[in-house]
Amino acid sequence: MTQPLLSIDDLHKSYGSEEVLEGVGLEMDQGDVTVLIGPSGSGKSTLLRCVNRLTEINSGRIALDGQDVTGAETDVNELRKQVGMVFQDFNLFAHLTALENVTLGPKKVLGMDAADAEAAGRNHLEQVGLLEQADSYPAELSGGQKQRVGIARALAMDPELLLFDEPTSALDPELVGEVVEVMRDLADEGITMLVVSHEMDFARSAASDIVFLDDGEIVEHGPPEQLFQNPTADRTEQFLSRLHAHEETA
Amino acid sequence: MSTAESTTSPNPGLWDRIGTVFTVRPLTVGLALFWVWVLARWTTDFVLAGVSGFDRGTPFIPAAPFLTTADAVASLATPLGAAGAPLVWVADTLRFTADATAYLPALAHGIWTTILLTVFSVCLGFTLALPLSVVRVYGGRWARWLALSYTELIRGTPLLAQLFVLYFATSLTQVLRGVPGVGVGFVPAQAFWVAVISFTLNSAAYQSEYLRASLESVDGGQLTAARAIGLSKLEGIRYVVVPQGLRLALPSWTNELVYLIKYSSLASFITVQELYGRTSTIANETYQYTELFVLVAILYLALVVSASALMDRVESHAATAGVGHTRQ
Amino acid sequence: MAAILLQAADWLFVIDNMGLLLGGTVVTIALTVASILLGFVVGFPAGAIEVYGSDRARRVVEQIGVVLRGTPLLVIIMILYFGLSISSSAFVTATIALGLRSAAYQSQIFRGALQSVDDGQLEAARAVAMSRFEAIRHVVVPQALRRSVPGFQNEFTIVLKDTSIAIVIGIGELLTTGQNLYEGGQSTAALEIFLAVSLVYFVLTFATNRSLDRLSDYYAVPEGTT
Repeated sequence: MTQPLLSIDDLHKSYGSEEVLEGVGLEMDQGDVTVLIGPSGSGKSTLLRCVNRLTEINSGRIALDGQDVTGAETDVNELRKQVGMVFQDFNLFAHLTALENVTLGPKKVLGMDAADAEAAGRNHLEQVGLLEQADSYPAELSGGQKQRVGIARALAMDPELLLFDEPTSALDPELVGEVVEVMRDLADEGITMLVVSHEMDFARSAASDIVFLDDGEIVEHGPPEQLFQNPTADRTEQFLSRLHAHEETA
Repeated sequence: MSTAESTTSPNPGLWDRIGTVFTVRPLTVGLALFWVWVLARWTTDFVLAGVSGFDRGTPFIPAAPFLTTADAVASLATPLGAAGAPLVWVADTLRFTADATAYLPALAHGIWTTILLTVFSVCLGFTLALPLSVVRVYGGRWARWLALSYTELIRGTPLLAQLFVLYFATSLTQVLRGVPGVGVGFVPAQAFWVAVISFTLNSAAYQSEYLRASLESVDGGQLTAARAIGLSKLEGIRYVVVPQGLRLALPSWTNELVYLIKYSSLASFITVQELYGRTSTIANETYQYTELFVLVAILYLALVVSASALMDRVESHAATAGVGHTRQ
Repeated sequence: MAAILLQAADWLFVIDNMGLLLGGTVVTIALTVASILLGFVVGFPAGAIEVYGSDRARRVVEQIGVVLRGTPLLVIIMILYFGLSISSSAFVTATIALGLRSAAYQSQIFRGALQSVDDGQLEAARAVAMSRFEAIRHVVVPQALRRSVPGFQNEFTIVLKDTSIAIVIGIGELLTTGQNLYEGGQSTAALEIFLAVSLVYFVLTFATNRSLDRLSDYYAVPEGTT
């Protein structure tokens, strides 16, 4: 077996006395698309944020390509060049155009010259179908467009792993589709993605693995067919039935 | 997941911050001592001095102990040569403290005048500002334009220039001198009143701006609802909009009060002996500029911090649920 | 009263001395610009320290700020000029007094503006591998500077008006020039002189506000909810 791209081992994280992650372990290979599901407060987003160290862990081990992520001597900025992130609230840089949002990282962090960064940036905007909005400011874009710029911004750093933190939950229902479509394209291209999302459509059609997280622990982990059709744990089943009920009413 | 953004009060809370910076005990104790001294001074000099055998302006604190200590410290410093510099500084400070015991009664009198100037101007300014702001928001075109011109002209020119216009360029001083009672007994002389008029006109313009902003931020539906229960427009403004607007404007009064405490020092240019004026008179006689102006800076800070603490009290007292300043 | 005081001869006197008043105006503008620049150079980092600094640094900056904001400008000028004698030049002293006091207020403007930028902006910048400093410099500061324009506008006019207080140490700025014309020249022209002086101040504050409006429009970015 080759070494996994991402391996998480016995991860613990608590805020004050509240333990959010209680010994989580997870592995991802190159090209995997892993979707994290679970009730709110189960620690999904925290787990995601530990991977690029927006949140610091208490104990455990995270390795990317065999390199220790959480060590004191690890350069977080080197790490984040390899791990892109897409946020729930987009967090587009409000004072920059779509294209400038995409090129800021390559220019300032990777030291790319402006023309190259721009050419690459246009490609990434095209990839998410927004080349025509290159010169628009975030306030002039719809939610779905903002999130697609957010994805292009993360892609522009050419990361090995992309993290998605509930990328569609701040969107109006009719705008979810365009973002899911972009994400599915990325999955098809073989980009490794760790996604926190309850977008069942995406989970069923694009995920290689589903991880069900509850109360800071991984309750169940498996391919989508198995986990959705024949969940082994009661908790998983309960959660899925609530989710389906919610999807039908929505 | 994401923590809520901290909401800021309508006023960025500049003076709230004094509280957080200086919640330390020594400041509270210092302020208490300051006010005990000020009140004792006023009582002795303004009330008791006329009645019984008290002498006006006799220092409470004797100068002698400070002088003897200063001499003792200085004599310790002499054999140390250059290394004794800190001790020399201590001795000098003690000598100034000895001198200051003689100045303090005059400064307490100056504080009285400064407070009078500030309070008169804020209160009179408010009585002008309220109609001005109502006209700005609800008035007809011409009335609105007039009110706007007034506030912009005042806010666009220096307070000191306004003071000079009234004092040097009009006959206001002569007119006021003729008013019976001015300058007699407890009533201050005409220059003081010129300053009050000038600061009032100035403060009215600034206060009307604060009030206008507050009135405008009261939801438009409020007036509609007032009209719907049969109140006239003026009644609706009077009973529904203004009470809410005033609460919203409270934080700005802290700023206005602080502004006037500091800028009332400009009255010294037209001979008013308020806190700064008295200090500068003493400084010109004694040449103890640094010590005296540092001392007066501390006194002004005490006034400013007291004013903002007082306004904090007023604000939390006046706050009703949902209207006005609620603490985070 | 006005009819007696607003006399043609007195206006002629003002017009005759236009050159002097113009000189005073130039000094006022120079003093304002120098003080605002000093205020920015000191106030911007001070505001940044109040937001991003260590506890101790923040405490120190805040306390200096409270003292400078709580003391009358007149007192600050006197301490610097007659007390500490930091410079024999009245102009330099007034610039330092006005500049330091303005820094104390500008720091509050910038502090508020920096804090008003959503935390997600900083986080997103960190997520594309920028260092904390790079993220603040390229993402937070450009947005904060735009948001501080209204406060800065206000501060600019306050400094402009307060240069008149430098009259206490006899700088030949606008109000001093007016005062000299009145005392050393034609005392019947007091109203005309001080009205003319006030008019110049008004034109200056008005022009300042308008040009900063323009500047703000020029650099404006459509800002919605982020």
